[in-house]
Amino acid sequence: MSENNPYIPMPVEISKIIDEVDTHDIKTFRFTFVNKDDEQKFVYLPGQFAELSIYGKGESPIGIASAPTDAGYVEFTVQRAGAILPGLVTSALHDMDEGGRIGLRGPLGHSWPIEFLEKKNIVVVGGGFAFTTLRSLVKYMLHKDNRSRFGDITVIYGARTPGLLCYKDELAAWEKRSDIKTIITVDKGNETWTGREGFVPAVCKDVAPSPENAVAVICGPPVMIKFTLPVFFELGFSKENILTSLEMRMKCGIGKCGRCNVGYKYVCSDGPVFSLAELEDLPRDF
Amino acid sequence: MLKKTTIDKLPELAACLMEKGTLVAPVKEAGGFNFRAITDAAQVDLIFHNTILSPKTVFFPQTEDFVRYSVYQPILEAKPVEPEIRPTFLFGVRPCDVKSFEIMDIHFTRTGVPDPYWRKRRDATIIFGFAFDTSEEADPAEFYHTLGIGAADPDGSDVFMLRRDDVLFLKAVSPRGENLLGGLAGLTDAAPDERKYFDDYIAQGHDYKTRYTCVDAEAIAKEFEAIFHNTDFWTKVSNACLSCGICTFVCPTCYCFDICDETQFGQGVRRRVWDACMFTDFTLEASGHNPRTQVYQRLRQKICHKYSFHIRKYGPISCVGCGRCTRYCPVNIDIFSIVEQAVQAKWYKRM
Repeated sequence: MSENNPYIPMPVEISKIIDEVDTHDIKTFRFTFVNKDDEQKFVYLPGQFAELSIYGKGESPIGIASAPTDAGYVEFTVQRAGAILPGLVTSALHDMDEGGRIGLRGPLGHSWPIEFLEKKNIVVVGGGFAFTTLRSLVKYMLHKDNRSRFGDITVIYGARTPGLLCYKDELAAWEKRSDIKTIITVDKGNETWTGREGFVPAVCKDVAPSPENAVAVICGPPVMIKFTLPVFFELGFSKENILTSLEMRMKCGIGKCGRCNVGYKYVCSDGPVFSLAELEDLPRDF
Repeated sequence: MLKKTTIDKLPELAACLMEKGTLVAPVKEAGGFNFRAITDAAQVDLIFHNTILSPKTVFFPQTEDFVRYSVYQPILEAKPVEPEIRPTFLFGVRPCDVKSFEIMDIHFTRTGVPDPYWRKRRDATIIFGFAFDTSEEADPAEFYHTLGIGAADPDGSDVFMLRRDDVLFLKAVSPRGENLLGGLAGLTDAAPDERKYFDDYIAQGHDYKTRYTCVDAEAIAKEFEAIFHNTDFWTKVSNACLSCGICTFVCPTCYCFDICDETQFGQGVRRRVWDACMFTDFTLEASGHNPRTQVYQRLRQKICHKYSFHIRKYGPISCVGCGRCTRYCPVNIDIFSIVEQAVQAKWYKRM
């Protein structure tokens, strides 16, 4: 029964922890698989997620932050939840050290539609730490084996403050590359910040990416998405070419437990990636 | 193959099945009837209308242990729990409840990742369907006729049973049922006039009227989509709702579950337990965001899931008209009348 049982997690070991932000509540955890078989089976694409599983605490669905081109490990950027409720799993994970072991179930859900994105210009728009699966996508597209499959790549990424930007080293590296246009913005800078200031929707309007043969891939806090979607719509992007990723409370992650049901879709197994056209076909109940 | 026995010989039949596996049958309890694993052959009681809990409990028990763990031990020491699954005979299931298994099969095993627990239990079980007594007036809560289910439909059963006074007829419906019935001692062959009685009874089962309204799956799905955002309508129909969730627990086609870790003194079990979309925290996220804080939003979710979303996703309506939700609702909310009102909801749209 434990063979191919989708409810039983596989063991993984924390091989690296990166403290991403100056508030220390967002960390990237790098995991290696305890069993090599599991590593072979864990075949994913950017945009998919997995359940992080800690016995005695529970499970949390988290987007995969590493790219499939990163061999030998898988990464998740996790915020310590607990503004309203104690985030049992995320708190326990944040309290763990390198070498600690947890469970992992996945990969789950649908990825960003890679085949659909091929040969198109890609505009990636992210806000805060919701940038995780977008980082996976950008890393994947920038890989030397993949870069030629995609057209121009533009990344617009914002955070509230400079200290809250994730993946700072990678952002710096992208800014130096000529095959990707990287625009970083913060809501409010500080004395050392020399970059752009402004909210993501306003920056998008300012940058005004061309809708010609282009797809916008947008992920961020609800308020950012709410104001960014109309900007792209006004720029002339069709509803089929605006993609985002939904969040709902989840348990099983495989479309069985009924929790993430919105209309005729399960966010876990039918999503989490949806186009704006698909979202408009769902009841506003998320 | 039509066999028969008498009601007073039921314990013998039960004992015979208990030798071959686990017998799950209706048992009279303080509050009414329920399906239970039989330990004493005399417990089986077929003088019942329907059970309180639906027989989904056999394939989808209220709690299902996944893994045993110790918080003091490394994750590799955690042990998946092998469910004890024996050949099972599910005895005395009403036709509407048999239909619910087929609907649940679509969700649990026929689409997406198959649920191993549902599948194994389902494969190990032989179903004895049991016709309603059509000489009685229909129960006021039931409306399976609305959903195209007859009072004596043998579809989905392996063996189908019918009671005529003190005689119990048993007919093999599936090859598995045929195999089983052939090898059961104590059954005698039915006479030709009895076979005619049996066939006539089944045919007439479709004429037996429960509450009825004309419902077309595609049309009702669209009607509910159209009134989804009509807050007036949903507030009105959910006014009395206590969000107690009993409608979902007694429902044969509700499948929502929670997965939780229960730890005591360091030893724990990860198990799945029934959950209900009627509860406030069902969709409460760790961020504090909750898309369904209001009672009307949750009742709307339950009804639209059954009569709209399920149709668009899987095809059939996710309701068999067994009437349990209406019968056990403490404030008399009646899903059938909500469906009827939805059909006429265009009046509300103008309000």
